Amino acid sequence: MADPLLEFFTVMDSQGGVVVKVECIDPPKFDLDLYLQNYRGRTRFDRLYLIGRSSVPLCVDALKAAILEAKRGRDPQRYREVVECLRIAAPHDSEATYDQTWLENTEVSNRNETHRLTLELKGYKNNLIKESVRMGNEDLGKHLESIGDLNGAAEAYSKMRPDVSTPKHIVDVGKHLVCVSLQRREWGMVTAHLNKMGGNQSPEDEKILQPYIKIVQGISYLGQERFLDAALSFLAADAAVPSASYNDVASQNDVAVYGGLLALASMDRKDLQTKVLDNSSFRQFLELEPHIRRAVTQFVNGRYSACIATLESYRPDYLLDIYLQRHIAKIYSEIRSKCIVQYLIPFSCVTLDTMNAAFGSPEKPIEEELVSMIRTGTLQARINTIDKLVTAVSVNPRQKLQTTALETARSYEKQAIDRLRRMALAAADLELKGQRKMTPHGMNVTSDLMYDDSALE
Amino acid sequence: MDHCASVLLAFPEAKEITENYVYHKTAQQHVQKVERLIKENTATFSGLAAQLLEHVNPAINSISYLALLQTLLSRDKAPQTNQPLLSAITTFLMTFDPRQIRYVGTTLSNLLTTVGEGEIFPASVAVDLLATALLRIDPTGSMLTSHHISLVNLAYLTDNIEPIRPVIEKTIVFYPGIKSSSDGRYLCDMQLPPPAYITPDTGLTTKLNSSAVLQYDLLCGLCFIARSSWQKAFDALERVISYPTKDGVCSNIMAKAHNKWVLVGLLLTGKTPTVPALAWQGAQKIYGTLGKPYTSIGTAFEQETAETLKAEFETLGQQFWAEEGNLGLMRLVLAHYQRWKIVGLRDIYTKISLAQIRTITQSAETGTPLATEAEVLELVLGMIQDGMLNGVVEQPEGQPAYLTFLSPTEELSEAEFGAKMLQTAQRIKNLEPIVKATNERLGTSREYLRHLVRDSKNKDKDPGFVGFDHSIEDEDLMSGVLGP
Repeated sequence: MADPLLEFFTVMDSQGGVVVKVECIDPPKFDLDLYLQNYRGRTRFDRLYLIGRSSVPLCVDALKAAILEAKRGRDPQRYREVVECLRIAAPHDSEATYDQTWLENTEVSNRNETHRLTLELKGYKNNLIKESVRMGNEDLGKHLESIGDLNGAAEAYSKMRPDVSTPKHIVDVGKHLVCVSLQRREWGMVTAHLNKMGGNQSPEDEKILQPYIKIVQGISYLGQERFLDAALSFLAADAAVPSASYNDVASQNDVAVYGGLLALASMDRKDLQTKVLDNSSFRQFLELEPHIRRAVTQFVNGRYSACIATLESYRPDYLLDIYLQRHIAKIYSEIRSKCIVQYLIPFSCVTLDTMNAAFGSPEKPIEEELVSMIRTGTLQARINTIDKLVTAVSVNPRQKLQTTALETARSYEKQAIDRLRRMALAAADLELKGQRKMTPHGMNVTSDLMYDDSALE
Repeated sequence: MDHCASVLLAFPEAKEITENYVYHKTAQQHVQKVERLIKENTATFSGLAAQLLEHVNPAINSISYLALLQTLLSRDKAPQTNQPLLSAITTFLMTFDPRQIRYVGTTLSNLLTTVGEGEIFPASVAVDLLATALLRIDPTGSMLTSHHISLVNLAYLTDNIEPIRPVIEKTIVFYPGIKSSSDGRYLCDMQLPPPAYITPDTGLTTKLNSSAVLQYDLLCGLCFIARSSWQKAFDALERVISYPTKDGVCSNIMAKAHNKWVLVGLLLTGKTPTVPALAWQGAQKIYGTLGKPYTSIGTAFEQETAETLKAEFETLGQQFWAEEGNLGLMRLVLAHYQRWKIVGLRDIYTKISLAQIRTITQSAETGTPLATEAEVLELVLGMIQDGMLNGVVEQPEGQPAYLTFLSPTEELSEAEFGAKMLQTAQRIKNLEPIVKATNERLGTSREYLRHLVRDSKNKDKDPGFVGFDHSIEDEDLMSGVLGP
C-alpha cells in the first residue's frame, strides 16, 4: 500500500504539485464529508481531486470520492484523470478501473445533447425571439460547462449578453462567465466580468449579490497576489446572506480563513483590530474558524510566536485549499516577517538569543532570515554579530534634512548648467543631425552616425 | 631698424587709455601699421626680427611681439633647434596681454596650432603652454574652442594629463558659432562674454561640428578615467550621452561613451547608473541594444554572488573587452566588486567578524571567497585608507578580529552646514553672467522676436469670441441649432 502511494506522490512532486506529508506535520484536522457538504457544483470535484493529489493520508479516500463525484456529473475527461491517479496510488482498489460502459454512454449522450442544443439554438435564432436565443445560449453554455468544454461554455455564455433584457439576466451572464473564468484561473477576466455585473439592480438584489461579488473579487485578487485588496474584499462580505448564493465558489469557512490570513499578511495591528476583530459582519465568519480569530487576536496582542505557532498547526489544512495552496508559503512568510518587524518595534536593541527563542528553531537560526529581511528593506535594523545584538536604525531628521538640502542645491546647479549648455548647443546649431545628402550614387550617409530604425518608421 | 622699432613699440600702455573706443581705434591702427611695415620691408624686417625681439616686451606690445614671432617662424626651416626662438615663444604664451591679442586672433591661432602639432616643442611642454595660453585668452574657461580639442587630444595621446586639468575641469557652456549680438561694444571691452570675442571672425577659434564637441567630452572623460577621478569622468561621459540630437540619429561616440559610462558608474556608486532623463528616448533604446554586454555587467555587479559577473566577463573574453577598449576598466570593475559588497554590508551589520566577511563576499576576479582572513584584513584596511569605508578593524586579545562600521556621516554643525550651502549658492550665483549672456542672446534672436510678435497678435484677438466648433457639440447640431 505504501509503495504505490510513494510512487504516486513522487510523480506529483516531480510535476510541481504540493505534497503534504504526514510524517512531519499533523494530519489535516477535517473530515472530507463534512468539508464537502459546504460546496455545490463543479468545485466539489476540483477540491476533492486537489486533496487527492496533495495529501498523503487523505489521498485514496479523496480520489475515491472524486470518482463518485465525477460519475455523478457528465465530464468523461475528469473521470479519466482521477481514475488514472487512483490507479497509480492504489492499483489494487476495485474502483481503480475504468467503467467503460459509463464512459461510452456519457460520451454518446453528451454528443447528442450538444447536437440537440445547437440545433435548438439555431431554430431560436431563425425565429428571432431574443429571450429564447438567450435561454438557448444559456442551456448550451451550461451543458458545455458540465461536460468540461470550458472554452465553448465561455463562448456560449458571452453570446447571451446581446440578448439580455433585465438586470437579473445581466447578473446571470456575469455569474456564468465568472464561474468559467475561475475554473480556468483567469483572474483578470474574473475581475472584468465582475465589474460588468454590479450597479443596476434593486437594493434587495444588490444585497443578496454583495457577498458573491466580494468573495469572488477577493479570490481573484488572491490569485493575482494582491493580498491587501483581497483581504479588504473578503472583509467586506456580508455574512447575513445565506451561503447558498456563493457556495459554488467558496464556503463561509473559506471566507473566514482567506480574509483572516490575508489580513494578517497585509495589515498592521491597528487595522487588524478595527477592520477584522471589530468588524461585526466578518465576526460571524470568524466564529466558524475560531483558530483564525485566535491567531489575529494573538498578533494584535503582541504574542507573535503564539500566533505563528497557531498558524503553523493549520498549515497542512490550508495547503489543501484549492485557491490558497499556491500562495500559502508566501502568505506565511509575510506574516512571519511582519511578526518579526512588529516584535522589534518597541526595542532599540534585542539580543539575537532572544530573537532565536521567539522565532528561530535549532536547525534554522534567525540570523539569515534577518539578513534577508534587512536586505529587502522589510526590516530597518542592523545586526551586530560580535556582541550578538540586533539594533534598530534610528533616523536622524536633522542629518537627513541637511543631506537633502545639499543634494537639492547640487542638483539645481547641475541642471542649470546642463540647460545652459543645451541652449548654447542649439544656438550654435551643433545638435547632432542626420547628415544625409543626395549624391550621384544615391543616398550617402556620412560615417560615424547610426540611425535609429524606429525614428525612420 | 629704428624705424621698425618705433612702429613696433608705438602701442601705448593699456593704462594710458581709459576709453574702450580709443583703445579699439588705436589697436586697429596699430595692427594695420605693423602689417604694412612687414609687407613693405619684408627682406630687412625678417633679417632684423631676431634682434627686434629683444627690444619688445611681450606683455606690453603683444601684437608686435606676435608679428615678430610669426615672421621668424615662417622663415625658420627647423625651429625646434632654434633655442632663442623657442624661449621667446614660451615667454610670449605665458605673458601675452589678453586684451591686445583679440585683434590678432588669426595669427595667435596659427601659433597655437603650430605648438599644438607637437613638433617644435616636446609634448609635455606644448600641453602646458597651450593650457596656460587658453586660460589667458578666456580666464572663465567656459567656451569651447578648436584649440581645446587639439589640446586634449594631444594630452591624452601623449599621457600629459595633469597640466590640462585646469582646462578640462572648467564647465563649458559656450560654443563657437553662437550668433552673439555685439550691441555696439568693442572687442577690447573686458566685460564681454567669451562668445563675443572668441569667434571664427576674430580667428581665435574655428567653427566646430557636433562630433568634435562629442569627441572633446569623451576625451575629457578618458583623461579623468586615466586619473581615476570617477565623479568627473562620469559627468563628462554623461554630457556625451545626453547630447542633444535631432532627426533620430545617434553617434557612435555616444554609444561608446555610454558603455564606458556604465562601467564608471559601477566604480563610482556600486550600482548601474540610470540614463539621465535629458537624453533622447531613441538614443536610450540604442544604448540598450548596443550596450547590452555592459548592462548585463551592471546587473551582475548588483548581485550577491560574484559568479555571474565573472561569467559575464569571461564568456565574452578578454579579446572582446580589449577590442572595445575597455579591458582596463573592466579589470577595475572586477576588482571593485568585492569592495562594494563589503561597503553594502554596512546596511545590514554594525559589527561583523572578518571571518564572516570572508564567507559572505567573494572576489569577482576568482569567483570565490578570499583565501585567508589576512587577505580580507588587507582589503578592508585598504578600503578604509582610501576613504571608501567608514569603519575600524578591532582585534581583541585572543578573539577573532572584527570590523565595526562607524555611523555614516556625522551630523554637520549649523555653521558648517551654512557654509556648505553658501558655497553652493555662490556657485549658482557665479552662473549669473552666463545666464545673462544666454538671455541677451535669446532675447535678440530672430525666432524669439517672431514668437513675441505672434504672441501679441493672438492677444489682440477678442477673447470673448468663441468659435462655432467650440460651443456646439455634434448632438446639438442635429437637434437644436439647425432644427426649426
